[in-house]
Amino acid sequence: MSASLAPECDGVKERYDTCFLKWYSEKYLRGKGTEDECAALFKDYKKCLTSALKERGIDQMLEEARADHKESDEAHMRRS
Amino acid sequence: MKVFANECTFDYSWEEVSTANWRKYCPWNEKSTHVIAVDTLSRHVDPATGILRTERLITCKQSAPKWVNSLLGGLDTSYVFETSYVDPVSKKVTMTSSNMTFSNILNVRETVVYKPLDATRTQFVQDAKITALCGGWQKVKNAVEEATVTRFSENARKGKEGFEAVLAMSRRVFSEEKQKEQASGTMTA
Repeated sequence: MSASLAPECDGVKERYDTCFLKWYSEKYLRGKGTEDECAALFKDYKKCLTSALKERGIDQMLEEARADHKESDEAHMRRS
Repeated sequence: MKVFANECTFDYSWEEVSTANWRKYCPWNEKSTHVIAVDTLSRHVDPATGILRTERLITCKQSAPKWVNSLLGGLDTSYVFETSYVDPVSKKVTMTSSNMTFSNILNVRETVVYKPLDATRTQFVQDAKITALCGGWQKVKNAVEEATVTRFSENARKGKEGFEAVLAMSRRVFSEEKQKEQASGTMTA
């Protein structure tokens, strides 16, 4: 699995990524899972990542990028 | 504005490709060394459509040519924001991404789509629009755009090679795990 930009988050990220990949391939793609079973692990990872992004001053840049991607949602969040 | 378009076929099912895509930039990929980290920022399944929406932050070692880099401020890391959509019913992965760093001077918007060609092959379609925003000389803008397109196509070629390695490795690991499961199944039966 790929690394996190914050080395201190690598451990929690690895646990989350492993959980997600298993859920994605074994359940989600087979139409068996609409609920994300890895939510608890994601919460841990997200907590670590959020403070790392703040420390590095990337959070503001992210908000701008997110706003810029709004139009992709309109195009891709519905069935084509 | 310059456009970089690229298309190729992977000899793997859409399910295999869309799964391996999540770990495209893992250590099995020895080619895409410009990507140093991939972080997931948010992820959810839309209850109405079943579409999985993911936001990721991709950290790259600055891979622009030296002269472009110094023109852009000489940072050694750059960030890309990516939003992706997986529709498991129509079997389509769409990934849109744009540069966060230098976004006041250069705008790069990339769209990648993975769709099945048949049961064992997947089509990859990539499209990038590159626009230099810096005011001033058209010549400089053109040169910046051209250099970016060149770098983009180099990374695309390396990306394909690297992803092929990830796909092969994923298939191997998956079949080994299956064998292990079957072996333990016969033991307990």
